[in-house]
Amino acid sequence: MATTNSNRTTQSHSGLRLPINVDLVAIALGLTLAALIRFGVIHQISF
Amino acid sequence: MSTQTIPMPAATDTPPSTTSPGDATGPLEPASLIGTLPGIALLFGIGLLGKLLEHAFSILRTQHHLRLPQIEYVLWAIILGLVVSNSVGVARIFRPGIATYELWLKLGIVLVGARFLLQDVLHIGGLSLGLVAVELILSLSVMTLLGRIFKLPPKLTSLLAIGSSICGVTAIMAAQGAIDPDEEDTSTAIAAILTLGAIALFTFPAIGHLLHLSQQAYGMWAGLAVDNTAESVVTGSLYGQDAGRWAILAKTARSSFIGFVVLGYAIYWASQGKAAVVENKALFLWQKFPKFILGFLAISVFATAGFFSRGQLDSISNLSRWAFLPAFAGVGLRTNLKDLVGQGWRPLVVGVLGEIFIALITLGLVFWSYNHGVSR
Repeated sequence: MATTNSNRTTQSHSGLRLPINVDLVAIALGLTLAALIRFGVIHQISF
Repeated sequence: MSTQTIPMPAATDTPPSTTSPGDATGPLEPASLIGTLPGIALLFGIGLLGKLLEHAFSILRTQHHLRLPQIEYVLWAIILGLVVSNSVGVARIFRPGIATYELWLKLGIVLVGARFLLQDVLHIGGLSLGLVAVELILSLSVMTLLGRIFKLPPKLTSLLAIGSSICGVTAIMAAQGAIDPDEEDTSTAIAAILTLGAIALFTFPAIGHLLHLSQQAYGMWAGLAVDNTAESVVTGSLYGQDAGRWAILAKTARSSFIGFVVLGYAIYWASQGKAAVVENKALFLWQKFPKFILGFLAISVFATAGFFSRGQLDSISNLSRWAFLPAFAGVGLRTNLKDLVGQGWRPLVVGVLGEIFIALITLGLVFWSYNHGVSR
């Protein structure tokens, strides 16, 4: 069983494959959004 | 909980699934980004509808004095998703987008780091690591014992033990690449873990209220006891917003153990001649480590350093709630009750008994830590 597989994507347990690394995308998106808020590009967000 | 990447199975593999009645059969191609849009729209649509229903019920209760229960958007989103998934089913066009619920979940967790000062993360996270270590040893032992008593296949027992002790489905998928189980064992283990997660959604909040647990204590319990990250976050959030955040913190601490446990099982099965030898153990650990936790910590460091104003922290926190909205809908949409109960009774019984044990042990650990002033 290979433990170093270069072809790495994410397969959810609903059986679908996303052609992205979910963790890295989540980190990149999160930091980008936080930076946009920090530097005033995105203003107040309510929920 | 979840590793970030999972080795691609062979193209002919039948994916472990909890498919919906309306699903088409046949292998699925890797989803294109455009192909995910319908499903993403469905996730947000159901999440927003849940939020609207929460608001509508609130108005009916306060302005029209109707005796309606207070149901938060979290529960509405799950219920609506469950209704769709188990009635009309999820059409094939929506499925790639629904699979993105994991991305929204992890984005929400990264952003919620803004609500934790680093000292809280270190204190509670450190406490969680200690509790997780105890929970891991006991749950792995009990699940292994139960598997032997009920004569489950050894690798299925390993999968159930890994899934229930660390982080559910992702841990099972990570182990699948390391211990080489049968496809059927993987599907059965996943179905059992998802079933137990669905049960936790409705039982944990009731028990928490019955025991008058604080938001922090309950959140810690949900993070330590509920297997899947999504279900863990939802189970915490159903009790309250603060409980949801504490559940995330405890769950991420628990998830950080995934590499060590899977590596342990990989070494064991390799010694039995039933799996390949792990040659580079450090690389193995890094590959299995759930890296989105690093994003959570990064945001927490920035928040602690005063990088954000109070208003900006509120905005980031609200943004995390927007990210959780489709994730909660996804939990309901990917749960098909018919498939979950159709996997045979023995794995389910082992899972139920093991989960009850884990729930009691972790509840006891949380009580102990609060009564001895270890937690605040």
